[in-house]
Amino acid sequence: MRQVAINTHISGKFNIELENLRNSVLTMGGEVEQQLINTLKAIKQNNAGLAEKVILNDLKVNSMEIQIDEECLRIIAKRHPTASDLRLIMTISKTITDIERMGDEIERIARLVTKNKLPPSETIISSMLVIGERVAAMMRGTFDAFARQNEAEALEMYDKDNQIDSEYKKLLSFTTTEMERTKEDMQDWLEVLWALRSLERIGDRCKNVCEYVVYLTHGKDMRHTPLESMQQKLEQLS
Amino acid sequence: MLKLFEHETLDVNNLADQDTAINVQSLDLWFGQKQVLHDISMRIPKNRITSLIGQSGCGKSTLISAFNRLNDLYSGCRFGGSIIIDGRDINHPKENVSRLRTQVGMVFQRPNPFPMSIYDNVSYGLRLQGIRVRRQLDDAVEQALKDAALWDEVKDRLFEPAHILSGGQQQRLVIARALALKPDILLLDEPTSALDPLTTLFIEELMAGLKKRCTIVIVTHNMQQAARVSDYTAFLHQGQLIEYADSDTLFTMPDKKQTEDYITGRYG
Repeated sequence: MRQVAINTHISGKFNIELENLRNSVLTMGGEVEQQLINTLKAIKQNNAGLAEKVILNDLKVNSMEIQIDEECLRIIAKRHPTASDLRLIMTISKTITDIERMGDEIERIARLVTKNKLPPSETIISSMLVIGERVAAMMRGTFDAFARQNEAEALEMYDKDNQIDSEYKKLLSFTTTEMERTKEDMQDWLEVLWALRSLERIGDRCKNVCEYVVYLTHGKDMRHTPLESMQQKLEQLS
Repeated sequence: MLKLFEHETLDVNNLADQDTAINVQSLDLWFGQKQVLHDISMRIPKNRITSLIGQSGCGKSTLISAFNRLNDLYSGCRFGGSIIIDGRDINHPKENVSRLRTQVGMVFQRPNPFPMSIYDNVSYGLRLQGIRVRRQLDDAVEQALKDAALWDEVKDRLFEPAHILSGGQQQRLVIARALALKPDILLLDEPTSALDPLTTLFIEELMAGLKKRCTIVIVTHNMQQAARVSDYTAFLHQGQLIEYADSDTLFTMPDKKQTEDYITGRYG
């Protein structure tokens, strides 16, 4: 594992700028993680007030993305970063795009509660919550891997997406069967399907961040690479 | 809304007097028949680093030299307008130029240590001021060398000739010589252009530390350096001040096309 040493530049101010930038990503990640936890709680309690709070709070996440992007731009213009510093900034710029999209997906799920469109099936709700918990754990692990620049942890989280995808498919199949039984509420069911899809998409976004962590530590672009080939390539690099 | 990053930006075009180290008002300057500076007005903020950038011959070195009246040394130099430092117009006929140059120190492109010991180089200005007490000189030399981040490297060879030092050390020695006089303003005219990239970064880091105690104005050909070290940047072209703003803005969203063309290498 090759960590990017942030605090070893001659310029103390540059060290501080990079440290602040990295911390800001973790703050943004923490915010989105809390948004997901609140959304799951809102679903569990059918709490429209809490869901409304999640929707409003997404504006904060959007603002964070803009601020971090501006800071990346400022650092590139003023510091002309190279090598690992440049990779760190590019990684951050891409990571926050994915985190912001995670926020959008969470907002869509929260709208299910505010619009009173939760599925009329306890089985679907509880399965949704189970997948939601898995996604939240994956998200936490992904941000930890980013903070520690730990590619082993990133690969572990990357692999978790397969499990989420498989559970999503099962739930989708069950939901489709339920839909066929109550065809008159088709519009409501479509909202449920979109929310389930959003949950699954958060896992995909976490997977993207895991790929960026590998790029940051090894300088290898692993996007669109199956996990096994990714592990093989990393072993060759180590 | 949560603010993730704090960056101070003073409006240099509307700077209060108490925050202004140098107030340049409608400055025109001629060498003989040739007008070198045209109607320059700018306020340089206290305890900040301000860079002057522009093509060779744009007048940036002439402008910085005007801040401690070095241009007086050239015959045929005339000027109009005023430069206010510490509440007085430094171009006034009654201005004490020696006192001004104590208050406004200058470091040049090539390190120019005097042919004497390290100690004597740093204490030279103080002796000229009439300070003879050994302990006082010792303390001032030590402090200046510490401020210039050179003390640890030379403390055991203070009485060796200054020319044995490396280029980077010599430049820091020259900075220490200026700092010994406790200037309010330090003018640096391309201070790192003769140094290697790593030594350059050390000098830049030194500048970042020094701005707590004095205002720094730096002329540089290296735009990356201006972007890295300075809080504020002024772009000059053919003796005119084209744009003057905080460096964050100037290097990301310059207001004037001429500035954009220059900093992006499109200047033709």
